[in-house]
Amino acid sequence: MTKDNREILSYKFLLFKSGDERIFQEIFKANYNRIVGFCNQFIFDLDMSRNIAQESFLKLWLNRKKVQTENGIHSFLYTAARTQCLDYLRHEKVKSNFEKREMILSQNILKSYDFDNIEFSELEEAVNRAIENLPERCRMVFIKSRYEGKKNREIADELGIAIKSVETNITRALKFLRKSLAEFLSILIALLCSL
Amino acid sequence: MTFELILKYLKGEASPEERKAVLSWIDESAENKEEFTNWKRIWALTEKASENEDVAYKNFLKVAEREKQKNRFRKIMAQAAIFILLIGLGGVISYVYFNSASNQEIYQAKYTVKSPLGQMTELKLPDGSFVLLNSGSKIKYNADFSRGQREIFLEGEAFFDVEKDTEHPFTVKSKVLDIKVYGTSFNIEAYPNEEKFSTTLVEGSISVMDKTGKEIAQLKPGENASYAKDENRLIVQKVNTGIYTSWREGLVTFRNEKLKDIAKFIERWYNVEIIIRSEELGDERYFGTILKNKPIDQILEVFKLTTVFKYEIIPRANKPTLIYWDKIN
Repeated sequence: MTKDNREILSYKFLLFKSGDERIFQEIFKANYNRIVGFCNQFIFDLDMSRNIAQESFLKLWLNRKKVQTENGIHSFLYTAARTQCLDYLRHEKVKSNFEKREMILSQNILKSYDFDNIEFSELEEAVNRAIENLPERCRMVFIKSRYEGKKNREIADELGIAIKSVETNITRALKFLRKSLAEFLSILIALLCSL
Repeated sequence: MTFELILKYLKGEASPEERKAVLSWIDESAENKEEFTNWKRIWALTEKASENEDVAYKNFLKVAEREKQKNRFRKIMAQAAIFILLIGLGGVISYVYFNSASNQEIYQAKYTVKSPLGQMTELKLPDGSFVLLNSGSKIKYNADFSRGQREIFLEGEAFFDVEKDTEHPFTVKSKVLDIKVYGTSFNIEAYPNEEKFSTTLVEGSISVMDKTGKEIAQLKPGENASYAKDENRLIVQKVNTGIYTSWREGLVTFRNEKLKDIAKFIERWYNVEIIIRSEELGDERYFGTILKNKPIDQILEVFKLTTVFKYEIIPRANKPTLIYWDKIN
């Protein structure tokens, strides 16, 4: 038998494009909390963050035929969320001068993301790689804190360590990430200074 | 500025005074701003809320449904607008053309042919092409098929003998991949619930296309292209086409397939329900040819002789017969 392999898009992705609701549900459940969390980091309004996430998934569903690759699903969701967060911040009535400064900061950082091009998947990959390279204990604490949304107290109980040690490990993890992502992030300096 | 304070700020645990201190630090220099921005970018991308996903999805479905209704309403309104416009125009034009107004009905009819369980169905399409549908398989096509739009939707397995027409390509669409043909005979397996796709070319030439219309592979006679869910690749190989098309003659060859997959075939042909009461047994592989048009008990006897299971048949009223397969220890 002669064999000839041709790489093509994943079966799941094809099903997603063909409108399979089961696969969509999987994508929804795997990413919903990430999108809500992302929005809330910039708009500080959980209810609104939920709405924006919901709207982003609705857009994804309606535009599924336009998404070209599997990575494109993430880019699409974050792009949709970013646009809506910026819209929200633009129309938000601000109370104090202080809040205004925070809001402008949020807007600038949101604008600095470029989810459309390759940078996003690269940044995502670089972060994941850096996390994988963390020392064992450090990584466990970081993942529980950042990805599983656990409180320091819970992590301390689970791992049988002191709260102080949880805090130290998170700080260590972030410093380590900062160092390993330094090269990657320096590319963005020019971009940020122009804001 | 201590890193701990920035961290506290990112976490949203900083007091108003601390927040002010962080902001002032950020405004101090471009470097500070850059450093904070980098942290925040990573922080936001790794952030995860702790909402209940099941509840969120249920809410999402409600909103999606509302959106669908809205779209439908919009479509109806758009159609209504056209209709009103047509009536308006119609008032004028009908004086002139009343007599020549055609009786042509303009609607899009859809034809569906489904082969009953346990039977094969032969049909001739409007263009003269021949289709043999395997048991439990379904094809759909639109009324414009006869006007050169040769497009078929397939769920299941079918053998096609396509009438040559280079101007009007013949397309078979399945859930994941499409086949484009110019006049040929070939077999396609695309059962939606088995998550696989396989096509075998007997003569002529066909192209396998992805859903964006991009050609992934072109097959030569005697080649099979198969795509399995786990592998994410299309495997093109030379095969004995007889194995893939033998079901047409009522002969079925299993090529080292798992008993649980074979059970699915048998369920389809005989309209029975098979329950394998041992996971180990379901994963066992079988190689051999059986004659499909024999009664089910004869087929099961053959399996019993050549494998390691025993069976139990339980006829049920108003429901497919239930068959248990058990491992012999």
